[in-house]
Amino acid sequence: MRIEISGLTKTYRGGVAALDGLDLTVPTGMFGLLGANGAGKTTLMRILAGLVRPTSGQVTVGGHDMSTGAGRTAVQRGLGYLPQDLGVYPDLTARQFLDYVALLKGVDDRMARRRRVGELLEVVALTGDADRRLRGFSGGMRQRVGIAQALLADPRLLIVDEPTAGLDPQERIRFRTLLSQFAGQRTVLLSTHIVDDIAQTCRDVAVLARGRLAFRGTVDELTHRARGQVWSIVTDGPPPAEGTVVSALPHEGGTRYRVVAPAAPDPRARPVEPALEDGYLALTTR
Amino acid sequence: MTSQTARTLGASLRYEFRMQIRKRAVWIVPALTVALFLLIGGSLLRDLFDKGERPAEARTAVVGLAVQVLALLSIGYGCLLADRLIRDDRLRVAPVLDATPARPGARLVGKYLGTAAATAVPILAVYLGLAAVYAVHTGAPHALGWALATCAVVIAPGLLFVAALALTVPLIMPAPLFRVIFVGYWLWGNVAAPDMMPTLARTLIHPLGGYPLDALLDFHGIDGDDTWAGPVPSATLNFLRPDPTPTTAWLSITVLLVLAAAALAGGHAVRARRA
Ligand SMILES: Nc1ncnc2c1ncn2[C@@H]1O[C@H](COP(=O)(O)OP(=O)(O)O)[C@@H](O)[C@H]1O
Ligand SMILES: [Mg+2]
Repeated sequence: MRIEISGLTKTYRGGVAALDGLDLTVPTGMFGLLGANGAGKTTLMRILAGLVRPTSGQVTVGGHDMSTGAGRTAVQRGLGYLPQDLGVYPDLTARQFLDYVALLKGVDDRMARRRRVGELLEVVALTGDADRRLRGFSGGMRQRVGIAQALLADPRLLIVDEPTAGLDPQERIRFRTLLSQFAGQRTVLLSTHIVDDIAQTCRDVAVLARGRLAFRGTVDELTHRARGQVWSIVTDGPPPAEGTVVSALPHEGGTRYRVVAPAAPDPRARPVEPALEDGYLALTTR
Repeated sequence: MTSQTARTLGASLRYEFRMQIRKRAVWIVPALTVALFLLIGGSLLRDLFDKGERPAEARTAVVGLAVQVLALLSIGYGCLLADRLIRDDRLRVAPVLDATPARPGARLVGKYLGTAAATAVPILAVYLGLAAVYAVHTGAPHALGWALATCAVVIAPGLLFVAALALTVPLIMPAPLFRVIFVGYWLWGNVAAPDMMPTLARTLIHPLGGYPLDALLDFHGIDGDDTWAGPVPSATLNFLRPDPTPTTAWLSITVLLVLAAAALAGGHAVRARRA
């Protein structure tokens, strides 16, 4: 499902412009959405999920106009949505919660529903806890229930909002792999402020900043934004005053700083190869 | 109603019923209310099983019992339902449900019927249980027939009305405030004499079912000398108090159900506008 967005603005009550004239096209496949907290990622995803109405602008998803009720329902029929900060009913078991969501998604056949729920519990490694109340689930387990509910009914568009928050490293890797495998002919929109999640899964990426599009291209292109701007300095003095410190590692003779700056922040600085995170920082901290 | 809409309604009815009936408070609150009532000397409950005290007629006895049970247990009933709609937002489940293609209106009606029914189960169990014991004790099986009729024309419309308000009013005020206002009204407004203060008592909108009690069940109090509906000299809102007849009794039931539907429609609109 191709997403086309033009002139999209969302101003919340109270005057916060969360999105400010956004133009963006999202093709089929994995697509990463990066941006600082408050950049407008969640607002964009809530609009695409049909939960929030734009203040102005056009949004079509797979050719369906999101400004009409019929368009939103058509999109929701093929939608999997994992909200940021997802909640569950504490009084249901994982299996019951998934069964309920599957029913609302129109998986009417009881056997098909039971099978699909069982498969997904297996996929998110919750089979052993499937019949426990969600009240007792840890944050990571709840998040896995959230992932499973998003994948019910075989969505053609999967929107996942900061999905790896609260997952441990193994769970995170598992989930990223799952998403990449799932993508194929489908569209997966992954928002995060964790650059590494995008670096490992997406080819195409957009960066939002204060409700506007700051970058749209491939991961390599974003990485190249930092070419000639990433420096390594070893010093036992204070960190360099110029630029953004990406990392500070203990090193013989002091600390090794990795810095993103337009010009060498120090005569001792050596240029190094940029990574995606450097490109993102070069773009957003100008 | 399309079949998809019907299935959505059925799914949310089933799951909302299941979640509510498992809540301990749904059982504890009515149990405590009944225990408290007996402790402070609940008159009729005791008299029913006392040969010297109980009303002569089985109908009077079980309808009178319904009035007491409904008046008492509705208080907890309204309070127990006040969080059901707003908790979807509080628990942050709403975005997941709202992003499904299921019609929100059908989900709301399913939630309403499911939670209203689940919360009514203990109340009906108490009432029909006592009525059954009474029927056996006095050898009057027709008492159960009257009890079922009372459920249909008094208890069900009253609870459906209360449930619709309890679900939707907390969308526009905090649930604890709604509970305070609701309990206050119930204890005071329902029983206060209408010429003392404006109240819905004895009107078509009386959730205790004054009109059906009076005109459909021919109930005039345990001692047979009360009236339950109709105008009161020099009271406000007398335009809502026509003389009780079977027609006005059915009108009263209709009015309660229409107002319940209006409250749900209003709640639906409030939620839709927040999108
Ligand atoms: N419901 C809301 N009401 C008012 N302001 C909001 C609401 N949701 C988000 N915002 C504001 O909109 C901006 C964008 O938020 P959000 O879309 O959550 O960004 P992100 O997901 O990138 O962190 C922020 O300034 C946030 O405070
Ligand atoms: Mg967000």
